[in-house]
Amino acid sequence: MADSIKIRATLKGNDGEVRLLIPHPMESGLRHDPAGQTIAAHYITAITLSLNGRPVLEGGLGSAVSANPLFAFQLQDVRAGDKVGVAWLDNRGQRGSAEAVFDAS
Amino acid sequence: MRRRAFLQAFGSATVLAPLIGTGLLQPRGALAAEGGRAAFEARAALEALRLIGAGGAEQNAALTIKAPEIAENGAAVPIEVISAIPGTTRLAVLVDKNPFPLVAQFNFGPEVMPRLQTRIKMAESSRLRLVASAGGRFYTVFRDVKVTVGGCGA
Repeated sequence: MADSIKIRATLKGNDGEVRLLIPHPMESGLRHDPAGQTIAAHYITAITLSLNGRPVLEGGLGSAVSANPLFAFQLQDVRAGDKVGVAWLDNRGQRGSAEAVFDAS
Repeated sequence: MRRRAFLQAFGSATVLAPLIGTGLLQPRGALAAEGGRAAFEARAALEALRLIGAGGAEQNAALTIKAPEIAENGAAVPIEVISAIPGTTRLAVLVDKNPFPLVAQFNFGPEVMPRLQTRIKMAESSRLRLVASAGGRFYTVFRDVKVTVGGCGA
């Protein structure tokens, strides 16, 4: 799962945009399968963004973030070659991470 | 100062210690100082607001929620939230009528602009709230979104 995060870092001047698509069911624990059984909750609870290894953003998520969460964040004072990383943790203790480098567009 | 405040808000040492040398963050489900997971388990928006410390948030037109007026698919409603309030360090998104109204909250370091795009689940037509924290004060803005087909069990 961790390997399939899509992360795109684009640079316009000194402004960087990071777009993320994280494959994850984001199951709320409120739904039922066709047999009437509750589908167990399984969702990302925390996400962090780092710039060149330093933390720059941390998010707490609930189960109402859509399946396969998509995020776009805007960074300032970014240069070509800067490295952005994302890491997530879900309610079952599973983790994933990915990195990308800002390229001049 | 901003960076220090940011790190304190994260509970610094315990969160950051494992990162040294890894180049990657290891999320630990922090944000404990802001109500932790309890706020995400609140079943009413006002209770979630209280738990994140934003019970007395003032309305402020410098906050923007971009969302469709009518969302056809409640399972994935695209939103963009933006704070133009200087010194914004935190944003939270709530959907009043969801079973668990608090959708997400983010702490922003000085390198990240207080805005983001994402997709959220909406169980039914509801008020969306954006809450921003800046300089120790809380601000909010509302927007109503009609949902044609609710995101089941949002």
